[in-house]
Amino acid sequence: MIQLSNVSKYYDNEAVLKDISFFVDKGDLIYITGPSGAGKTTLLKLIYRAERPDEGSIHVAGWDVGELKQSTIPYLRRNIGVVFQDFKLLFNRNVFDNVALALRIHGLHPDEIKETVNEVLKDIGLRHKAHEFPQHLSGGEQQRVVIARAMVSKPTVLLADEPTGNLDPDTAQIIIKLFKEINARGTTVVIATHHSDLFDNTGRRVIHLKGGELIRESIG
Amino acid sequence: MRTFLYCLKTAVKNLGREKWINILTVLTIAVGLMILGAFILITLNLDSTIKQWSRGFGLVVYLKDDISANEENLMNEFFTKDSDIIEIKYISKALALKELQQTSGPMNSILEGFKENPLPASFELKLKVEALDPIRIKLKASQIRQLSGVDDVQYGEKWLSSLNTMTKGIKIITAVLGSIIFVAVAFATYSTIKILFYRRAEEIETLKLLGATRSFIRLPFLLEGIFVGTCGGIISISGLLAVYYFTTSKIIDFLPSLKGMIMFFPPEMYPVAPLAGAVMSLVGSFLAVGKIRY
Ligand SMILES: Nc1ncnc2c1ncn2[C@@H]1O[C@H](COP(=O)(O)OP(=O)(O)OP(=O)(O)O)[C@@H](O)[C@H]1O
Ligand SMILES: [Mg+2]
Repeated sequence: MIQLSNVSKYYDNEAVLKDISFFVDKGDLIYITGPSGAGKTTLLKLIYRAERPDEGSIHVAGWDVGELKQSTIPYLRRNIGVVFQDFKLLFNRNVFDNVALALRIHGLHPDEIKETVNEVLKDIGLRHKAHEFPQHLSGGEQQRVVIARAMVSKPTVLLADEPTGNLDPDTAQIIIKLFKEINARGTTVVIATHHSDLFDNTGRRVIHLKGGELIRESIG
Repeated sequence: MRTFLYCLKTAVKNLGREKWINILTVLTIAVGLMILGAFILITLNLDSTIKQWSRGFGLVVYLKDDISANEENLMNEFFTKDSDIIEIKYISKALALKELQQTSGPMNSILEGFKENPLPASFELKLKVEALDPIRIKLKASQIRQLSGVDDVQYGEKWLSSLNTMTKGIKIITAVLGSIIFVAVAFATYSTIKILFYRRAEEIETLKLLGATRSFIRLPFLLEGIFVGTCGGIISISGLLAVYYFTTSKIIDFLPSLKGMIMFFPPEMYPVAPLAGAVMSLVGSFLAVGKIRY
């Protein structure tokens, strides 16, 4: 589903990622970990083509990501759900409209949008907050809405960058449980985090980065 | 289609949310188009006045004293065949003298000093308006001069060419002003849309990440531009109409003879204003949104 071959990325002639190769199977849930500045976020950005690799190639769901034309990038992104720290909810619309936006972009029928969004909101346990505005939700609730928005269009890949960042351990567990459910329905999930307690004893693949290099792979 | 409707909804919502800046833009566009419209009107009126004047414009063909009747007939036939000539008037020596006597008053005594009538017979030719081109007339005059029996051909050469330069000048000024206003209107929309675009930068980033195509991102801004331009156009033509009625009624109070002389645009031209506004604004908003990169 995701294939990186000898990928390198430079910022100002400084290598941020060096010769990274790995493969994620369809339906896998894997973790990427490493200290701050290791290149985790950059790696995810390469996958959904917010950045281009300087060397090597990336394939996602059959797309040669690095070679995509600007006009085809949106179609790649429709297959990729993103849960990012700096990718917040829009505060000028309510929970329902925030989630529905992803489907409106796809041009779905309003009835279909309504049904799907309500279903997803029920899955994350926030059906009753559909008409609230994001600023009236707790951090954990907001993060669940972000996940709902990433999931609602049923992407084949879900990328999450430090999804439990500012959340307390209990809320973090709720979020992780959500990812597992999503993964159980067939979506390939990649989670970048430096909280080892998220993946310890999960039996999942963990890719370790350090200084832009893939130093080892382990089982959590 | 559904996407279009959604974009339209978004545009309408955004218009409401940014009411004041949009109203300001509409007014700017309206003023710009009004200035342009007023100028076009002035041009139109001047042009029609000039045309009116030129209706009396003609060539005078002076005949030699020893011209034969046959030569005169041939000449008359030549003029009749020419489709540029719409009126032929023959003025005999006697008629010319009589006209002169009527207009010259106290100078009559000088005329009486001549034993013979010194005035030549002539043909006065009126030309249709389209033929009143300096080069074309010059050619025609030299053709006529070659006919046998013709002494001289006269026409208001200087007057005609200066009239011509004036019409051309007005047209050039209108064209230049038109381009300036075009740029100004486009720029008014450009800066507004640019501001609105930056204000919604976060939203646009979100749209990009969710897989919105470039046209999906662009469309609401373009629709907003079109709407603002159309409104500006409607206000400008309404305003111009009001100004027209107000000023003409004032002018007619002073100069009643001008009644019905000053024209406005024909009603079927009214939609041109909102259309022009829409196109100019569309260009502006298109440039403001610019190239969208993921
Ligand atoms: N746009 C950029 N321009 C220049 N350098 C950048 C840019 N983005 C990231 N970097 C650099 O690339 C390196 C890797 O950054 P990255 O954000 O991928 O790390 P990370 O592993 O996600 O760190 P953290 O755990 O703190 O989020 C850092 O040294 C960072 O300073
Ligand atoms: Mg990071």
